[in-house]
Amino acid sequence: MEKELILENINKKYDDGSLILKNINLKLSGNIRLSILGPSGSGKTTLLRLIAGLESPDSGNIIFDDQLMNNYPAHKRNFGMMFQDFALFPHLNVFNNIAFGLKMKKMKKAQINSRVNEMLLMTDLDGFAHRSINELSGGEQQRVALARTLAPNPGLLMLDEPLSSLDKVLRKHLLLEITKIISKLNIITIFVTHDHEEAFAAGDIVIIMKNGSIEQQGTPEQLIQTPKNQWVKDFLGA
Amino acid sequence: MDRYNTLTTFKKYFHPYALVGIVPAIFFLIFYFYPLSGIFIKSFLSEEFANNQHSNFGFLKQIFSSTRTLKIVWFTFWQAGVSTLLTLLCALPCAFVFSHYAFKGKKLIKTLSSIPFVLPAIVVATAFQACFGETDSPLILILLAHVFYNFSVMLRIITGFWSSLQGSIKEAAMALGANPLQVFLHVTLPLLKPAILAASTLVFIFCFSSFGIILILGGPYYSTIETEIYRQAAHIFNLPLASFLSLIQIVFTFFLMWIYTLFTKKAAKFVPDAEKANLKKPDRLLDKIVITATIIFIVSLCVLPLLALVVKSLTYNGEVSLIFYWALFENQTDSIFYIPPFHAIKFSLFFAGAALIIALVTGLCAALFIRFCDTNIDNKLTSFFDPIFMLPLSTSAVTLGFGIIITLDKPPLNLRTSIFLIPIAHALVGFPFVLRSILPALRSIPGNISDAASVLGASPWKIFKNIDFPLISKALVAGAIFAFTISLGEFGATIFTARPETPTIPIAIYRFLGQPGAINYGQAMAISTILMLVTAIGFVCIENFRPDNSEGF
Repeated sequence: MEKELILENINKKYDDGSLILKNINLKLSGNIRLSILGPSGSGKTTLLRLIAGLESPDSGNIIFDDQLMNNYPAHKRNFGMMFQDFALFPHLNVFNNIAFGLKMKKMKKAQINSRVNEMLLMTDLDGFAHRSINELSGGEQQRVALARTLAPNPGLLMLDEPLSSLDKVLRKHLLLEITKIISKLNIITIFVTHDHEEAFAAGDIVIIMKNGSIEQQGTPEQLIQTPKNQWVKDFLGA
Repeated sequence: MDRYNTLTTFKKYFHPYALVGIVPAIFFLIFYFYPLSGIFIKSFLSEEFANNQHSNFGFLKQIFSSTRTLKIVWFTFWQAGVSTLLTLLCALPCAFVFSHYAFKGKKLIKTLSSIPFVLPAIVVATAFQACFGETDSPLILILLAHVFYNFSVMLRIITGFWSSLQGSIKEAAMALGANPLQVFLHVTLPLLKPAILAASTLVFIFCFSSFGIILILGGPYYSTIETEIYRQAAHIFNLPLASFLSLIQIVFTFFLMWIYTLFTKKAAKFVPDAEKANLKKPDRLLDKIVITATIIFIVSLCVLPLLALVVKSLTYNGEVSLIFYWALFENQTDSIFYIPPFHAIKFSLFFAGAALIIALVTGLCAALFIRFCDTNIDNKLTSFFDPIFMLPLSTSAVTLGFGIIITLDKPPLNLRTSIFLIPIAHALVGFPFVLRSILPALRSIPGNISDAASVLGASPWKIFKNIDFPLISKALVAGAIFAFTISLGEFGATIFTARPETPTIPIAIYRFLGQPGAINYGQAMAISTILMLVTAIGFVCIENFRPDNSEGF
């Protein structure tokens, strides 16, 4: 059965009372790839953190697979999230970083071994298992982060600006690799970025956010051909 | 062409910033390494040693067969270990609160908790005596005083690391299915461990070489290696034994310092270079209770003993009175050996001023030299000189003072009666703090600024005067205050180097405490209160003169 993610009337305030997210409604299902695009401060990362369970909404519902997720803590959601700074564990080597989520699930050692090796192969990291995190290049760290996120078979995958800490040449190359890997997954993928080229490459559907609300939603072609207003047009043109 | 190359090489190595390195080098050779070598020589090449015909180790045998010496060595380690453990137990929960919550008055509490650490040991010892009076268990007082003294070091180091672990790394673990306990056990604790070990080693070193607190609170019953060096040297005149104990002290503190550096390096490797932590606001009742409890705990630990000191200094026969303060300015005895306490204040101020100048000049030269090595020659040179310049920090003041009096009392350099012996010793103790104040400021000046200036025609001196100096002036003030307040409160080295007719404030306090009578005791309290206020004010000034993000000391 296809799993559905539904966001209903999500609102979130800053400590000072101003709104970060205003009345967000969204419905995703199957293996759709969504890109959330917007300038910094538009609320896109906050939206991601609400879905992940790292923060909770002030009002509204987050429903996944027919279950209300609002009061589920992050560690019980089985969602995968890849962080902007990768957030790799500096005290663990590549193998143990990837194995972390599996260990939390109390998987057997043999199973962990085979799953980690599978991930290493998929991300082109075979031979890196016992490297220390500090010895890796930016691109390698990014692949470890992706492998770590995918290892526990998440029910939903989120990527928060996964390319922003890399240089321009590497970014193009790795964008291709990432989109290739996530296209093969059979889950909902949410890709957050401020770069429209990345958003169009990684998403079947793109939502453009501005000041905490969804400005426009559509396929990349729709957005390019019929931007809703001048702001969207300028933003995509930039 | 060859001539040109030689000329550029010459210019490179004889740049004025390279040449100023000679100043701290000579200072260290004469006033640090020479005295220390004196201790080595006294330990192994003394007459007593030579007279022992059978074996060179006869003297060692004699030392280790003496149960008193063994007991002292054992007690030194034991009290340092227990003090460190108690400090950790107090600091760890507080570090948790500080690294997780944002609350009103946090900065004030943090500054308040740091004041004990900068107070002179003699003031801390007096404060604990004021707080608890004569007690049957001086041991508990010693341990408590050590916790009081070192609590903030532990708190600062651990809080610094723990806050840096609050960002995405913890969230990544949660997103991977780790519950809060698993996050703590598998992520937080392993990452925090090197920082906890580093902080503990540092506190262990401080307690290991604690002098004033043990000497005053421990009385005749409890001796550590530090106090025994003093007793053997100053009371029994057994210089070889004092030297040998100093040697043990040097070897152990250097070894511990080395371990500390290892832990610090490991801890630094674990600091994620992620964005700053998002601290929790105390919304829930439980949060509020936890924070209130922490504040009450820190205030009572760090403020009560000092308050007791102030109250005792202002109370005579159960009434509020300034009698002890007035007494400081009277000459009560007719003894020619008696020095009125306000003279001690006068001497202290003079010594502190001189120490400030010496430490600031040598410290600035060393900082300029190290920065020059950083950028122009080789990092290896920096990693060679930098630790050398920090050595006085890992040498106990007592060892330093002892080394100075056994070497600088005879030709080629006889400074035994020189008025500058004390400021030199104080400058040496303050030197690492001055260097650590100036160097970061100097390093934060981008290299291309001075390049730009020199392209615009500025000579090295003009670059220093017009660019470096104005940019580091705040750091220089912080360094100067460090040197001044450290000198005012210095006790361990001073007790060796001070002449009877030129006592400093801490020496005067020690003398008052050793004399019977309410007036003497009260005067010790009064003069300690003054010293405490001066040091605390100095510390608050330093805090304002340095960048906000600097953790540790």
